[in-house]
Amino acid sequence: MSDVTTGSRRLGPGAKKALGIFARYGTIIGLLAMIAAFSFLSPRAFPTVNNFTNVLNQASLAMIIAGGLTLAVTVGELDLSIGFAASLHGILVTGLIVHDGVPIPLAILIVVALGAAIGIVNGFIVTKMKVNSVIATLGVGTIITGAAFAYSAGVPIVAGVPEAFLQLSLGRWLFGIPNNIVIMVFILGALWLLVERTSIGQQIQAVGGNAAAARLAGINVDRIKTLGFVISGMCAALTGILLASRLGSGTTSAADSYLLTAFAAVFLGSATLRDGEFHILGTLVGALIIAFGFNGLNIFGAPTWSQYVFQGAILIIAVGLSSLGRVLAER
Amino acid sequence: MQESRASAMNGPMGAPPASPFVVARGITKSFGGAEALKGVALDIRPGEVHGLVGANGAGKSTLIRILAGLVQPDAGVIEIDGRPAAIETPQRATELGMNFIHQELAFVPGMTVLQNIMLGIPKRSRFGLVDWRSIARDVAPIARRVGITAPMNATVRGLSTAENWLISICRALVRKARLIVMDEPTASLSASESEKLFAIVRDLSASGVAVLYVSHRLNEILDLCHRVTVFRDGRSVQEFDRDGLTRQALVEAIIGGRHAEEPPVRHAAAGRKVALSVLGLTRLPRVKGVSFDLHEGEVLGLGGLVGAGRTEVVRIIYGADLPDGGRMTLDGEPFAPRRPHEAVRRGLGLVPEERRTEGLVLTKSLAFNVGLANLERIVMSPALPFIRGKARANLALETIRALSIKAEGPETPVGKLSGGNQQKVVIGRWIAASPRVLILDEPTRGVDIGARAEIHRLIRGLAARGMAVLVVSSEPEELPDVCDRVFVMVEGRIVRELSGAAVTRAAIVAASYSETHQRELVQG
Repeated sequence: MSDVTTGSRRLGPGAKKALGIFARYGTIIGLLAMIAAFSFLSPRAFPTVNNFTNVLNQASLAMIIAGGLTLAVTVGELDLSIGFAASLHGILVTGLIVHDGVPIPLAILIVVALGAAIGIVNGFIVTKMKVNSVIATLGVGTIITGAAFAYSAGVPIVAGVPEAFLQLSLGRWLFGIPNNIVIMVFILGALWLLVERTSIGQQIQAVGGNAAAARLAGINVDRIKTLGFVISGMCAALTGILLASRLGSGTTSAADSYLLTAFAAVFLGSATLRDGEFHILGTLVGALIIAFGFNGLNIFGAPTWSQYVFQGAILIIAVGLSSLGRVLAER
Repeated sequence: MQESRASAMNGPMGAPPASPFVVARGITKSFGGAEALKGVALDIRPGEVHGLVGANGAGKSTLIRILAGLVQPDAGVIEIDGRPAAIETPQRATELGMNFIHQELAFVPGMTVLQNIMLGIPKRSRFGLVDWRSIARDVAPIARRVGITAPMNATVRGLSTAENWLISICRALVRKARLIVMDEPTASLSASESEKLFAIVRDLSASGVAVLYVSHRLNEILDLCHRVTVFRDGRSVQEFDRDGLTRQALVEAIIGGRHAEEPPVRHAAAGRKVALSVLGLTRLPRVKGVSFDLHEGEVLGLGGLVGAGRTEVVRIIYGADLPDGGRMTLDGEPFAPRRPHEAVRRGLGLVPEERRTEGLVLTKSLAFNVGLANLERIVMSPALPFIRGKARANLALETIRALSIKAEGPETPVGKLSGGNQQKVVIGRWIAASPRVLILDEPTRGVDIGARAEIHRLIRGLAARGMAVLVVSSEPEELPDVCDRVFVMVEGRIVRELSGAAVTRAAIVAASYSETHQRELVQG
């Protein structure tokens, strides 16, 4: 980072300003440019209400899990357990409903509570045992994967999933808006209110901005960090449940890939509008970029491998933009 | 301000009166408007032990950093062996034969003694591999000379501070150092370890290696040094030969005579209610049994040199560190915070030493930072903790007005404010929260004179409203300006208690350098 600092110190004020604008609005410009390009190249398939609804519907699950992750990274920690946890939650919710005959709402409640519990465990390991969050959540995530295999014996739970559970994700609501989108909007809205408009949110932002100062200002830093993990864990649970509902089955490792998508979205988001700070609105923009990118690649029949290349490249670009924003903000 | 330059010099060991190795003249350096060096001069001759003393903030460290190539001077000349030298990088300083040993020694804990000695030194290799065996053969006599007892292949993890010093000195000698700069070398050494170090310093000197010895411990300076330079307020004010070197003269030079003091009205503590009582507070090695009472409506100062343990005391009171022993009461109730938020809930506030790293969230706005300690005041209700934007803005505006903060408005990011205004934001946060006990650690460090006077007025105003205020400061001139009473700490203990007219800069400095461990009460 110091190299970047000395490098940009030699830039003129005009160039610096341009760079600053690029760092702040680059992601939004990129999103709009991408939509415009795809619309131009595929005017019939891409820019339709149907396709856009479809993209949003598909992206909703990633947006929810990324929204939760935003809270964890805002308090200054990484949560790598979310993908594995979401997979477990998917198996568990179907298992509870199919095998144990638990009513659907109760099954959902149990699984979301488990998500919160995983967050508490993560928080405890990080704040009390002082284990780096990357290691802590990677370890917890791996244990969770083991638990998922133990529960399902590696066999997907497919048969006997009730229609009512499938409707959770596949159903539509007012004006025919898919449920996933409604739930996503509700969750992200709630998270935005929490972070931006409440005293808890002020504490969350303070802990992420400067944990030492927050501590000395009288904030219970450990509790706030744990709260970040808890919300991250609950959102992972919700994504796992919705995915199981959409797939109509509980499958081991089904949601693992959401980890990478969530991270890409969150880091792209931190490069949006605010200089390298994580925030919900940014995460939403980041998730949209990824969703439309995938959609475009699909429409043009790009091979599967290119999607991995796209996602990996996006993640690196996102983190690059994010730290560029921070460097520029610090001068 | 007299400037005495000695020409002839005769040290206790007859150090050679050679031409100087290092000469620095007219060095100035400012950091963002604050002048750290206003023209200092220093010359170091080959093989001499040269003392460098001065109060905190006198400019010693800045000059050392310049010599080490870490900072570039704004003006002035540095000559090495009579030739002007530009020390642009630390590597250059090493090439010129200067080595620096700091209090925080830089080691790789997992590597061996030998590897640490050779850190950053080009190593001989055979067949492309580092030839550790032949290196060890060469280093062994040097290690023996400085008295390293640990085996060369032991890892440095777990070695004592003293041993680490020896390794650093050994490293310097392997690099063929002609000058070794030692910054507070005995700060964390025991008496016997210090004695060993002194012997090595004398040995170095005898073999022609010069030592720049920076220390607050005047006894060591008096024992060891051939010559001593005194810095005060960014200037080199006096240079002593062996002949004129007395403790009294040194202290006078360090204090300086120019501060005519006009003490503010000091209120006697007697008759006031005790707010915070501290009894036998201990956290080794820095705090060794500290006791005092802080009364309501009183400004109590905690003075002493950097490293005397003042900040550590404050951290314990605030719950940031846990004590090994001792107890506290707050308004008569037992008080043992385990975390800062527990202390805050009981009615404490802290303006920390480092406002940028410990006080503020720099990327956030003034309103955000003031609001942090006042969240319950700006939410709708405890059950519905939504921030009332207007209340937060008003709180920020009040703070801006009350402390005359120069900021565009409540939404200005605090990172963009000047140091003095940033400090006012941290203080303003606590004024708004109006705690029972407010602790300010170095409240005016890096703050310009105008803001400094304002901050002092604010502190007095808080006490007048009945708050109990504890001020920690390394600058002896600060405490007499704001405090009713001052306790001076030396090496983890309170050695003197000053009150009334006895609270003077000179008394604080004298007590800071005192060796006595018996607490004295001085009343004026």
